[in-house]
Amino acid sequence: MVSATSFVPNGLLSFSNVANILPDENEAPVAGPSSPRTPAPTTFGPPVEASLPATKSSAERALQELVDDIDVLKDMESFLDVGGTNASTSLPLEPPMFKSNGLLSSINSKNSLSDPFIWTGLLSDSLSSQDDDLPQVSEAFSIPHAVSKSTASFPSFDQSTSKFNLKARTFDGRTIFIRRKHKPSPDTRKTASLSTRGMGNLLDVPIHRLLDDISREQAMELSQRQRPSHTKHDVGHILWVDRYRPQRFTDLMGNERVAREILSWVKQWDWCVFGKSKERKRPRNGDENVDFEDEYHRPKEKILLLSGPPGLGKTTMTHVIARQAGYEVVEINASDARSGQIVDDRIRPTLESGSTVGSSKPVLVVIDEIDGATGAGENTSNFIYKLIQLTFDKPRRKVRAGQQWDPNAKRPILRPIICICNDINASSLAKLRLHAYQIRLQKPADVHTVKRLRQVCELEGLQTDTRALSALVGIARGDLRGCINTLQFIKARREVVTEDVIRKATVGMKEAEMSVISVLTDLFSPLSKRRVKELGMGDEEESRYVGRLSRVVDSCGRDSSIAIGCFSHYANLRQHDADFSRYQKANEWLMTFDRFSAAMYAEGEFALSQYLPYTLVPFYPLFQERGGPRVERDQSDWENMQTVKANEEIYKSLGRGLQTASTRLGGDFRHLVHTPIMQLEFAPLINRIISPPLRPVNSQVIKPEERALLSRLVQIMTRLELRFVQERAEDGQLTYRLDPPIDVFVTYDGKRTADIAVSRYAVRHLVAQEVDAELTALQTDIIEKGKKGKHANMSDKTSKARTDDQSSEPSSARPTKRARTEEVDIADRPPTDFFGRPITSFAGAVGSTDNKVVEKKYRVAYKFIEGNSAAVRKPIKVEAFL
Amino acid sequence: MSLWVDQYRPRALDDLHYHQGLSTCLKALAASGDFPHMLFYGPSGAGKKTRITCTLRQLFGPGVEKLKIDQRVFLTPSRRKVEVNLVQSNFHIEITPSEAGSYDRVVIQELLKEIAQTQQVDLNAKQRFKVVIINEADSLSRDAQAALRRTMEKYMSNMRIILCANSTSRLIAPIKSRCLLMRVAAPSREEMQSVMQYVSKRAGFDLPPEAGDKIIDDSGGNLRKAILVLEALKMQSPDLSGPLAIAKPDWETYCHKVADMIISEQSPARVMEVRQKLYELLSHCIPPTVILKTIAERVVDRVDEAIKTDIMHWAAIYEVRMRIGSKKIYHLEAWVVKVMSIYKHFFYDMDMSSFD
Repeated sequence: MVSATSFVPNGLLSFSNVANILPDENEAPVAGPSSPRTPAPTTFGPPVEASLPATKSSAERALQELVDDIDVLKDMESFLDVGGTNASTSLPLEPPMFKSNGLLSSINSKNSLSDPFIWTGLLSDSLSSQDDDLPQVSEAFSIPHAVSKSTASFPSFDQSTSKFNLKARTFDGRTIFIRRKHKPSPDTRKTASLSTRGMGNLLDVPIHRLLDDISREQAMELSQRQRPSHTKHDVGHILWVDRYRPQRFTDLMGNERVAREILSWVKQWDWCVFGKSKERKRPRNGDENVDFEDEYHRPKEKILLLSGPPGLGKTTMTHVIARQAGYEVVEINASDARSGQIVDDRIRPTLESGSTVGSSKPVLVVIDEIDGATGAGENTSNFIYKLIQLTFDKPRRKVRAGQQWDPNAKRPILRPIICICNDINASSLAKLRLHAYQIRLQKPADVHTVKRLRQVCELEGLQTDTRALSALVGIARGDLRGCINTLQFIKARREVVTEDVIRKATVGMKEAEMSVISVLTDLFSPLSKRRVKELGMGDEEESRYVGRLSRVVDSCGRDSSIAIGCFSHYANLRQHDADFSRYQKANEWLMTFDRFSAAMYAEGEFALSQYLPYTLVPFYPLFQERGGPRVERDQSDWENMQTVKANEEIYKSLGRGLQTASTRLGGDFRHLVHTPIMQLEFAPLINRIISPPLRPVNSQVIKPEERALLSRLVQIMTRLELRFVQERAEDGQLTYRLDPPIDVFVTYDGKRTADIAVSRYAVRHLVAQEVDAELTALQTDIIEKGKKGKHANMSDKTSKARTDDQSSEPSSARPTKRARTEEVDIADRPPTDFFGRPITSFAGAVGSTDNKVVEKKYRVAYKFIEGNSAAVRKPIKVEAFL
Repeated sequence: MSLWVDQYRPRALDDLHYHQGLSTCLKALAASGDFPHMLFYGPSGAGKKTRITCTLRQLFGPGVEKLKIDQRVFLTPSRRKVEVNLVQSNFHIEITPSEAGSYDRVVIQELLKEIAQTQQVDLNAKQRFKVVIINEADSLSRDAQAALRRTMEKYMSNMRIILCANSTSRLIAPIKSRCLLMRVAAPSREEMQSVMQYVSKRAGFDLPPEAGDKIIDDSGGNLRKAILVLEALKMQSPDLSGPLAIAKPDWETYCHKVADMIISEQSPARVMEVRQKLYELLSHCIPPTVILKTIAERVVDRVDEAIKTDIMHWAAIYEVRMRIGSKKIYHLEAWVVKVMSIYKHFFYDMDMSSFD
């Protein structure tokens, strides 16, 4: 295969130099000026180093002029020939190409402009259609054909060629103009050049130039072959955007550095894609990006993320570059489904197989418009997530002998992926950004865009001037696609482009898809003088802001984010507002906005949506300020939303605890669950109820009143399923955390209220122990009751509790049967139990119940009860039960 | 063990401490055999639910206290699942349809029809009908209320409905006209004091009347809150000696802080500070109307007589708008700005007049 010699462009190469190293996807490696050209098709001498770019291009120019001069002569000659016979004659060297023309009889025949990219020059302004195909002089004169600039750069209109309008007279005295169009046919040219070589003119031209010519010809050939054959269709049906789409790397305009950067990233894959045999000559600038830890020498970031505003040619650029580097492009764009499954179904197989069916070239996956893909959520099945996972797949270890080859094992990706997006800050790309090599495409300088547009206009025969074109570029903000489309639109109606026409044609075009920030900037600051000029507005027009701004807000389409942005920004402004009148007005508008949108979403009144932008426009007259503080993305509203969500979850789990408590206690807590009561009364007060001032002492030496307090606390906490969970803090200290963390409800501004003392670690430890003990006791309680039947039990217990209550027994420590045994257990705990762990006490409890069972000689049938996994398991022999 | 609020809640009509007239009335109704649909309304913590439970006990006997709590899943027309907690005994069922949010109509329709179409099979039951208690009836959506009104008439033989609401203003008139309205007013200070003494006696300690007074001051007629505060107080300082700090809910303290901030300075910077505080309150899930109300009351307490009405007037207007709208913080801030403006104007005018 090709180009393992890896041309890594560095900034030193000039543009014209790149022209010389067009790729050769068949055989010839892409060669930088310093790299040898290996498979030379002819029997030329040893590889020659090309001369310096600058001198070469100047030499070329000289040659070109020479050729042009000869062209004139040839034209004359052929004309005379043609004029004399007035019939189609063919020159010996190029029989199929020469056609007689209609011009001699001054009839304009139909335009047979066959290929937009082979443009030969002599096109006069007066006649827009022509069809002369005259033989090329250079061929006729057997001079080495130099297709220098016209092929190397995009359809060129060299000054040198445009002056060759030939004027001549026929025998009968009529004046005619001769124009010439040549349509190079690869075959003829080859023969031509071969024949010239055979004729011994070799010494006229330096060998390196001949070599360059050959490679250029080959590139031409290839590009022609690749070019979609829309020549057969009527030209008028093709969008200009497509017709003038760059085909080669050198055709790309605008930010050359970006193009080079992308190309060099793609080139970094060469080692992996095109084979590892070829060694790098020497490390180059771009090499530190290559991860040599990687077995396959892939670049560190396996994904390239290219971002930039629409219409700058991102997609085109990637396609061109991929082709340049010898890849076949597989594109996935917004028209395809882009769920996570696509990664598995399409991208992975493509990447693994390495090339598409029926093609020998390796693939390069281009994922276009990736910002529209799913990927914002935490979901692991979304597109972005899967894509990132794809890059993480580690190279497989070598298969050891005897080990089964696992077909399902994931293989690492060995082909480059390029993602294209408009908005680099799209939320769905947040994850991808970390793992991708990001390149940002800026809009090119207006001069370049204007130049390209001028070329297009001239090719299309559209009269224009620089002013009109720069006005167009200014309005479109560098969107080349938009510009060309507009031009085509104008062309459909008239021939001349003036500034006025441009203004009229672009009325609705501007400000497509703006980010929230830029909309806010527009709302809070007046138009810059430059922009005013670009849009060609007068003072009066500038002062009419409602229409302009409402369009801006509308085009963004994210009204509520803009409203939030307005809300968070307006109070930051420096302007003094003594009586808050402007603030009040602003708030009135915000409220109107809110009521509209609430009506829209709650009651489905979507007809109101068209009025929403107008409710935000008033921020402009109220707050616009030149040079005010910059609008920044305000997160506080979003953060607030997140906190609300988190806290709602805590309320929910507290509510669940209350539910269970009320289930166990015959519906006691149920009235506290309801919405405002829980937030307003229960949550703050339960925090106080569960934090009594306890001393951190051992539970054995505790004072009786403190014991009562503790037991009550423990009771409440177990009922509400509140627990202290042990945790290790970042500094390694053990802490107890309340779970669910209902203490956030007494924490405002990050501070707890003063009247609730933060209980110390030892106290929490004590409480946690007791709670655990109580919980296990409860579990056994339930198990015991489960034997009797759940219902009987509950009613039994509640009614008993009620009667207890009715008899108004001082029941601060109203002991249930279980509690009583538990207390006894604590009291009887052997002193050897230093840690006072609940397990031992519980084990004792189990033992005691077991003993009772043994004494009474009951027959015991054991049944597994689902859901009680907290029971302590202890090996007991079956005899113990019998 | 439950909290005191539940532990010492009266179980029978005779045990109730206040509103004796209401109790007699309820007793008579329960005895008459011609029990109507009822609507209990009154401020939070006045004892509506306690009275409902007592009435049920009067109707059916102690059997109603055998409660069973479970969850039920309702399927909405859009195939969404809505979970609602049901509290039921053999004789009654208690639901809070607002748990289902905007799907409360589905819950009402399905559940009520199901209950209404089954007759009481227990021959020993004192009454032929079952009772459905609907909590938070004032947050029922219009649709749900409309669904309720026909059911109330149609299935009168099998079912009685007891609605429980804070205010009748958000119930549609047809429902109000089908119910016997029972107003449960907040207890007076003396009544609260007696209840608290009773609770403390049952809990086994003596409550100094001054401490009780302090609690009552803060509770604003909300007995449930008062008892919760009492329990918190007892937990935090078990011997009730020394100067007692009555616990105030933190959000309330915080709201007061915000009100003080509004009064002490009126500037754009202050607006931003207040906004942060409002966000903090909202993030603690404090209902925005409560925030507005609490701050407004505090502000009104502290400003001059002349602008009190103005501030309250605007608070009311912004509250309405807040209910209509969806983004609460806009409305809260708008009100804050309004108050600042009014306050500033007032001072400005004062200064001017003194100059004259």
